[in-house]
Amino acid sequence: MITVSNLKKTFDAVDALKGISFNIQQGECYGLLGPNGAGKTTTISILSTIIKPDEGEVKIAGYDLKKSPFDCKKNIGVVTQEIALYNELSAYDNLLFWGGMYKVPRQELLERMDETLELMGLTDRKNDKVKTYSGGMKRRINIGTALLHRPKILFMDEPTVGIDPQSRNLIFEVVEKLHKEGTTIVYTTHYMEEAERLCNRIGVIDSGKIIAQGTLNELRTLGSMKETVVISYTNLTNECFNTIEKEWNDLQRIDDTIHFYSMNIQGDLSRIILKCNEFGLDIRHIDIQKINLETIFLSLTGKQLRDK
Amino acid sequence: MMLTFVLPIIFITLFAFIFGKMNNSEENHLMSLVHSVAGISVFMLLFSVAGIGGSLLDEKQEGILKKLLCSPMPPDYILFGKLVFAIIISIIQLSIMFTYAWLFFGLDIMHHLPSLILMIFAIAFACSGLGIVLASFAKTRQQVQGLSSIIVLVMSALGGSMIPLFVMPEIMQKIAVFTVNYWGIQGIYDIFWKLVPLRDSIFLSKVFVLFCIGIFFNFIALLMFRRNILKML
Repeated sequence: MITVSNLKKTFDAVDALKGISFNIQQGECYGLLGPNGAGKTTTISILSTIIKPDEGEVKIAGYDLKKSPFDCKKNIGVVTQEIALYNELSAYDNLLFWGGMYKVPRQELLERMDETLELMGLTDRKNDKVKTYSGGMKRRINIGTALLHRPKILFMDEPTVGIDPQSRNLIFEVVEKLHKEGTTIVYTTHYMEEAERLCNRIGVIDSGKIIAQGTLNELRTLGSMKETVVISYTNLTNECFNTIEKEWNDLQRIDDTIHFYSMNIQGDLSRIILKCNEFGLDIRHIDIQKINLETIFLSLTGKQLRDK
Repeated sequence: MMLTFVLPIIFITLFAFIFGKMNNSEENHLMSLVHSVAGISVFMLLFSVAGIGGSLLDEKQEGILKKLLCSPMPPDYILFGKLVFAIIISIIQLSIMFTYAWLFFGLDIMHHLPSLILMIFAIAFACSGLGIVLASFAKTRQQVQGLSSIIVLVMSALGGSMIPLFVMPEIMQKIAVFTVNYWGIQGIYDIFWKLVPLRDSIFLSKVFVLFCIGIFFNFIALLMFRRNILKML
């Protein structure tokens, strides 16, 4: 559905994209994960025809982006990072305006507007001016404006930035519903839990390059990353630790805690606890640190995904 | 609303009242009224179109322009939409000014209606692109407001919106021909004061110049829109 090859873009001598390539199949939800400034928005902006690439090829729904931009535009819906709505208009009028931009036939548009308002949980407030809405409600209607022409492909550029948990959950449900109905979704985020929950495949982007891509399980196997069991003891002695160290290769002691590293934490956890009992160690606390996108990103780039 | 309709009416009233008190003869009184209506109308119109240019920058900042560019509508249509809106607002504004002058000061617009309609169209078209041109040199609405205040005030002062040109030095009268205000005001003088007929070449030449100014501004607006405003996204 989307083919991107060797995409490059430079802004004032800064290489925003350094030749990225990826393919997205029909009906897939593809997550583009990366920190601020990684190149996510530039990628989405090129795919949604807002800016032109310096090099590279893009095919969207079978159309070449350079040769047939208008055919590409007809097949895509774009949820911009900004809440791009007319604040002085009601949600209803905003939907009417944005639906009109895609030349949806009037009667069909009115029906779809009602469905969209229902989907976004805003039917009761449809006649209120958007400026009276909360941030989450604005985000929801912002998404709604991108759905009226029933796009085959939906680009969502960090659609949950700065919103309340209720709206976030509703947006997740909407994305899951659209995905289930067969819409191809490209979802950019720097929230790993969103990508983990919503996306079939994830591309990790950093400094204008895709540094890894695949399913979450595929990404987990990259770099032979290990999960960690952190156990705190009340009576850990040097003697005990030395004995454990002889039997367990990959571990580290920090004060009263031992970090056990394992490729198969589920299988090894009971063995570790049995060993501790055997040595008469009194366990105060156990923490299991599983591999997630945050740790994958840290392992791949040496950087945190978000500023702490 | 304030800038487009209320302020111009207040200014016309004030100018017409002050100039009217200064002139005793009927002819001078008419001249004062015509100058007040023409000068203030064009002057305030330039502020209105500058505001429309500023709205384009608001839309850019709010991400609306970006979203419009994602739609299957050709990008130039966004600009054309703004220009058509500027022309419509200008026509409404000028029409209200002259209707006000007719109702409250007795300016005889009914006997010169065809000429006045043509002149209103010409002035509206001439000014329509100016806002976009100004917006293309700025990044925010605040910058446009600052820039447009200077440009509009200078253009209006030079073009005779504030003080009638015939009381100005000759050099100023020569410079005035480079402003849109000059051609608009002179055209309105032709209609109401000099009573030049619609088909007279003196009047039509002013209409022609105003349309040429409009084409020039709109062409520059199109170039600057493509070069600056779309590129800044």
